[in-house]
Amino acid sequence: MISDKRIHGFWMLDAAGAAVFALGVAYGVSALVAVQRPEWPAMVALLLGPILRGVGILGVHWTAIDEAQRVAGGWRERLFPGLLGRRTNKPLLAGESATLAIDHIASVEAYIARFRPARVSAMIGPLIIAAITAIASWVSALIMLGTMLPFAIGMILAGTAARRASERQLSALEKLSGLFVDRVRNLPLIRHYGAEERIGRQVSGAAREVAERTIVVLRAAFLSGAVLEFFAALAVALIAVYCGFALLGMLPFTPPEHLTLERAFFALAMAPEFYLPMRRLAAAYHEKQLGEAALQTLEQALPEVPSTLSSVARFDGLVVKDLTIDWPGVRIRPLTFDVAQHDLVALTGPTGSGKTSTLAAIAGQVGDIDGCVTTAGGGALDAADIAWAAQRPLLLPGTLGENIGLAVPDASETEIVMVAERVGLGEVMASRGGLALAIDHRGSGLSGGERRRIGLARALLSGRPLLLCDEPTADLDADSAAGIIALLVEIARERAVLMATHDPALVAAARLEVAL
Amino acid sequence: MSRRSLFGQDMTPQVRRYIGLAALAATVAAVSSILLLAISGWFLTAAALAGAAGAATAYGFNYLIPSAMIRLLAILRTVSRYGERLWSHQAALFAMAGLRGRLFARLVAQDNRNAPDLSGGDASARLIGDIAALEDLIVRRPTLPASMIGAATGVIIAAFAGWQAAVVLLALLVMLPTILRKLGTRLTRTPARDAAEALGKLRDRYVEYAAARAEIIAYGLADRVTLELNGIAAELDRANAQLFRGEGVIAAVLTIYTGGTAALVLMSATASAPRVALALLASVSAIEAMTAWARTALRQARVEEGLRRLASLERLPAAPFAPSTRGSQALALTIGDESVAPGTRIAITGQSGSGKTLLLESLAGWRTSVFELSLGDRRVTDIPSATIRDQIALSPQDAPMIAGSIADNLRVARSGVDANAMWQALRIACLDQRILTAPEGLDTMLGEGGGILSGGELKRLSLARALLAERPWLLLDEPTEGLDSKTEALLIERLRAWLEESGTGLVLVSHRQAPLTLSERMLAIGVVPRRQLVFPANAMRPPAQQDGESE
Repeated sequence: MISDKRIHGFWMLDAAGAAVFALGVAYGVSALVAVQRPEWPAMVALLLGPILRGVGILGVHWTAIDEAQRVAGGWRERLFPGLLGRRTNKPLLAGESATLAIDHIASVEAYIARFRPARVSAMIGPLIIAAITAIASWVSALIMLGTMLPFAIGMILAGTAARRASERQLSALEKLSGLFVDRVRNLPLIRHYGAEERIGRQVSGAAREVAERTIVVLRAAFLSGAVLEFFAALAVALIAVYCGFALLGMLPFTPPEHLTLERAFFALAMAPEFYLPMRRLAAAYHEKQLGEAALQTLEQALPEVPSTLSSVARFDGLVVKDLTIDWPGVRIRPLTFDVAQHDLVALTGPTGSGKTSTLAAIAGQVGDIDGCVTTAGGGALDAADIAWAAQRPLLLPGTLGENIGLAVPDASETEIVMVAERVGLGEVMASRGGLALAIDHRGSGLSGGERRRIGLARALLSGRPLLLCDEPTADLDADSAAGIIALLVEIARERAVLMATHDPALVAAARLEVAL
Repeated sequence: MSRRSLFGQDMTPQVRRYIGLAALAATVAAVSSILLLAISGWFLTAAALAGAAGAATAYGFNYLIPSAMIRLLAILRTVSRYGERLWSHQAALFAMAGLRGRLFARLVAQDNRNAPDLSGGDASARLIGDIAALEDLIVRRPTLPASMIGAATGVIIAAFAGWQAAVVLLALLVMLPTILRKLGTRLTRTPARDAAEALGKLRDRYVEYAAARAEIIAYGLADRVTLELNGIAAELDRANAQLFRGEGVIAAVLTIYTGGTAALVLMSATASAPRVALALLASVSAIEAMTAWARTALRQARVEEGLRRLASLERLPAAPFAPSTRGSQALALTIGDESVAPGTRIAITGQSGSGKTLLLESLAGWRTSVFELSLGDRRVTDIPSATIRDQIALSPQDAPMIAGSIADNLRVARSGVDANAMWQALRIACLDQRILTAPEGLDTMLGEGGGILSGGELKRLSLARALLAERPWLLLDEPTEGLDSKTEALLIERLRAWLEESGTGLVLVSHRQAPLTLSERMLAIGVVPRRQLVFPANAMRPPAQQDGESE
């Protein structure tokens, strides 16, 4: 990866800066011993080294965030259309979908911005530092490397303990922390029924329990931190003691290398640098865990949906044969029914029984179903023949006219006005500025009924021969509902209309009721 | 409200002890860290000088104490760092547990009519984020005094190389926190706010589009919607990138500052080589000890925002707890000019969107009333919420459920209610058979969004809960939505029997015809006079107002 290479480069710059600084320290001190040497090279090195490091650090940050946002952007390019606008196996709840497309992508961004550079640093950093140190004192470099093995073993042991502790506690912790949010969201209910005292006790108790359990996890997690700390300190101490005794000439063995004060001091100043990359890695541990989990989830978020792409047939009526849905929470027994080319059919069943899912299955928007959905002639249904009038239609920031014309961007103003008047939006247009009426994404200022009519107008304008309506009269008063019913009856004279509803008046108007 | 008083009440002796221990451990860690490097440097230099002076001097050199010190300091630093981390987290966790409890108690004691609205996902997520930011503040609290003591140690050690070096180091250390704070504010304040805003907006918009997924697919609008979302995501990215680069800038500045400090200390040092070595390494470590200030500077913007929001919640009035009572003397209702005697059953009629739900919620004290409503001889707006809730049990349109079991949800209405009473209420709501066949009966858990129960079933569970409250008035909003007509008839029959037996009054809103047979008279919502209200900025607004609001 290009950015990994660049990050490599910037970490090398950082290590080089550290070496220049160490050289400055070593030279500065030894210059004091050998009086005839000038001090200014030390000054230059002491200033130059950190500047190099600073440039390295900035480079890492700049590169890392660019790369992280590039990857995040790539995921967005896949997930936004994939989750919002393409056929999936099962429909997701809006909240779940948002978690994937917003929170998980944020975790991936943090993972790439923070953990990946730290990992690069941990892989090359210690070796570079040891190599540079070896120039001055190869024994010191060996000491550094020598502490690595027990360090690795210690990390594995401590890491295992931490993982075990957190696995035991994590799900319980999540549940307990969720309790506070849940109770805060339900405050109006709790106040209304006067359940303050009991729920308050529950919340306090859960909060204390979260604290106590978290500490158990942390105690184990901090152990690996302590191992790192210990070996970092040990490396400094061992090098200091070795070099000191070598300089004194008091090593119990013949020194394998000739050390001067300058060389020894350089090795000492490099010693803390050896474990610095590991510390960087440890600091990004949280991002690593979240990011890896998020990546795993994201990779499964858009499974390959078997496409049913055969050549499509002209719409001449709809035939549904043995349509079966079996998802957790939604189960539809085998459904078989026809919708003629000009027809009004009601799909009924209690709320939550899967009416919307059935419509989505017929529209070919979900993949995980059994049975056949074809045209009357037995051909494949063309997605471009299906119009959808939603219970809460999509509104994009723009004008009323643009929103009605979403499905047909090249529709003329006259056509739009015509359908708008047909669905009963005439009054709204007359009183509030016609097609130019500004609409925001919330549909501020529009009633539920008006919003629904915009959806119907959009469907009509699209001119598609099969209209699927999701609860066209729910939450409407009797008058508005009657108006919509009359309109649907009229539309059914020229198109096939299949609607999910539990409104008896609408069911009565239909030719056929299909009960789930 | 200052940081002090917000925490003040949380500082139980236990928390204070942990903070003390953590500060002590942090100090030991900072000092031993500085000493480890400084003594190592001194030892090397002194050893080199002694070694150069010949074997006799070398053997006379006391190497035992420094080398033992070095090893001791290595261990001390390890242990104290562990202690610092553990104790500071312990302090923060217990303090936050206390804060959560107190915050909840304060929030729950508010009046529904003017309490801040925290029901939305964004609001509650923000509250959690604020508490987490605060937790972070407490975790880092012990490191700040420790870093000062560490810095002071550095200055004392630097004095071995001459007073000039010590003065230079002192000046540089004193300036550092201010520099970091100024820089941190400059780099993070605006982007932190922008990022929070963009994230809220993105989530809001995304959820809206996710709900309209079927249409997006049907009309092939995915690109259009993605374009819309990417615009907001770009704002978020811009702000996040600024924040992230800001961290890099602070880290780079700190590194360069270290270099400058080392150079200046070396330049101003006047003593012998071993002492200069001691001072030089001590100054470098002393600056490193101050990195805690860099982290504080970076998070300051977020922590301040969070503190401000939490403080505004803390400022809410603390009302004394008034337990609700069953069996209060029933009061008569007045809706507009219509007087409704206790025990009467009425239905509110009107077009959809005419405010029937609003009227029920106003009557139940869930929101500020725009209608002329009275309970007894006083206007609903003037009555304390405790009186309202002694009179009225509302089963709201959206049937909210707390995460927990079915029994947990029923107990919200009446704590200590026994299983018999629960089953009885469930029977009236025609839900007993369904719950009987549920995996764990009354202990079946309802997850987020109701879990195993459908929307209609949740509605009936909400009805059962309202029945258990045993208030003189029952307010039902579309109680039979989604029911087949047979079950609907059964529910109405059972409910009628219960209402008659208990003498409970009913105010009903229903689009469906069957439930309306429960009512003795109808009241058209159009005749109920409305008042124009001026809403205080923080108050909960009726939906009409909320809808009119743009971002």
